[in-house]
Amino acid sequence: MKFSQAVKMALFALQGNKLRSFLTMLGIIIGVVAVTLLISVVQGATGKITGEIESLGSNLLQVSFSGTKATHLTLDDLEILEQEDSIYGAAGVMTRTAKIRAGSIEDSYKVEGVTRKYQDITGQAIKQGRFICDIDVEAHTYNAVVGIDVATDLFGTENCIGNTLDIGGFDFTVVGLLEKSDTMLANKDSTVLIPLTTAQRLFKNTEFDAIYISATAPDTVDAAEEATDDFLIRELGDDDSYFIINQSAIIDVTNEVMSVMTILLSGIAAISLVVGGIGIMNIMLVSVTERTREIGIRKAVGAQRSDILIQFLIEAVVLSVAGGVIGLGISYIGLQVLSTAMDIPMSLSLGTVALALGFSAFVGVVFGIYPANKAASLKPIDALRYE
Amino acid sequence: MIELLNIRKTYQMGETEVHALDGVTATIGDGEFVAVIGPSGSGKSTLMNIIGCLDLADEGEYRLNGRLIDDYTERQLSEIRNREIGFIFQQFNLLPRLTAYQNVELPLIYQGLPMAERKKRVMESLEKVGLANRMHHRPNELSGGQQQRVAIARALSTHPTLILADEPTGNLDSHSGREIMNILKELHKEGRSIVLITHDHDIASMASRQLTIRDGRIEHDSAAGGAS
Repeated sequence: MKFSQAVKMALFALQGNKLRSFLTMLGIIIGVVAVTLLISVVQGATGKITGEIESLGSNLLQVSFSGTKATHLTLDDLEILEQEDSIYGAAGVMTRTAKIRAGSIEDSYKVEGVTRKYQDITGQAIKQGRFICDIDVEAHTYNAVVGIDVATDLFGTENCIGNTLDIGGFDFTVVGLLEKSDTMLANKDSTVLIPLTTAQRLFKNTEFDAIYISATAPDTVDAAEEATDDFLIRELGDDDSYFIINQSAIIDVTNEVMSVMTILLSGIAAISLVVGGIGIMNIMLVSVTERTREIGIRKAVGAQRSDILIQFLIEAVVLSVAGGVIGLGISYIGLQVLSTAMDIPMSLSLGTVALALGFSAFVGVVFGIYPANKAASLKPIDALRYE
Repeated sequence: MIELLNIRKTYQMGETEVHALDGVTATIGDGEFVAVIGPSGSGKSTLMNIIGCLDLADEGEYRLNGRLIDDYTERQLSEIRNREIGFIFQQFNLLPRLTAYQNVELPLIYQGLPMAERKKRVMESLEKVGLANRMHHRPNELSGGQQQRVAIARALSTHPTLILADEPTGNLDSHSGREIMNILKELHKEGRSIVLITHDHDIASMASRQLTIRDGRIEHDSAAGGAS
């Protein structure tokens, strides 16, 4: 018998019992939806998180301090660090929270003391006006660059260049407005940036809370991290008081965690696929019993054992693969809805589609082979006599 | 050529053994029209199943076309059923969800014939039994006699040399029965061997040779003129 004829026969048999075929598929449908949704959601979330981290700059190292050892680090020290071949620039940052007032409105905001290099290194974009420049730092000016939420909260408008705001009793002139942040991790919308030296004076402190360092290229990040580490040990004499965060290392770790989660979750979801497969086997066994006489007739008119085997096996595989396809369809729609609702781009990757289809075909073969073989092994006379 | 030598077949019915065939010896030549007559339970259906390679004898030798049936593989037996033998059953044994056309086509599909050839043979067979106009009807839309004619068309479609008919008129009224018998006679005239199983002496008398079977033994062979 030709294979195409076997497929035709199998489809015809399945059509004859549409409700049963659908209910049998349901197990596979649910399994495939579970597996593909979970994988895609995790992949989407991973993409979102690594995207956030990358948007900070994949060349970026961040040093944070736990003790007060950073106190004696100065901007001049950072210039020494910048001599390193692998390092493009280093920007010390002081971060405080302060009450800020403009007219009658007062609220708490994050205040960061920064240098010009901060913009180069973090790639922070300016919407209006200018960023803190070298003269601001050298002359301890009272100029400020504000985040977009600060501007709208305090001044009610984004057009706030030239306005004055009060930080800790000092009047600052707004000289720039930051571009709206589209990330969550490095959101500066509610931050006011002032010259580092002014901040040191304002908060009566000279220490950096963090140093942003950018490597010359993504592949020198590790060298830059090493150089920074050597530099800080030399300067501070203690490697417990600081912590270097390597963005690319974080991305690696995130990807690793997410891939473990993917395997774990899809493993759990795969159990439902196996249960679906058992459902197919169950129904195929019932079908073989019901159709014993049909099998007998087919054998009497000359069907080979292999003809019967293939026909029933195809029925099982068609059930499971069709279930897989329907499941993928449902997942696709579900992901569209979820993406919009959660504002995280999520889609079925080609690998996920291949995995789902491959696995459901596999389930069909594994759970279809026993019933098909049972049908094929029936003796023609026993099958014909079956009432 | 069918050669049966001392064929035995025993069924286990609960505690008791039933000797369905208890040493049957017979030879049926090519082109013969033989009726096997016997009351129910005489073993005549078992005999047909063995001749038709649907069942295997427990003991004895069965040669089909000179070759011992035990020497055939399962695959070859399927092919013999497919190409050499046409079955006609008392219950018609049509597949209920297939149309008359599709039922007749079934053995040709298992032969792997291309569609055009299948169509030619199916139409030829259906025309022979006078049902070409009913080819798109399902069995439940046909009368008993028509269903049996479809079954005959199915048996004919592969151009078999041997037709095995097990009580082909058993479920039919006498008019339809006569129609079926006329078709069988015609097939015999065309040179096919026909083995007809029946309990009805009137039907059996239409064959050219009668084998009477009782309690699993051939009691009388009209060709031999006495008990064998």
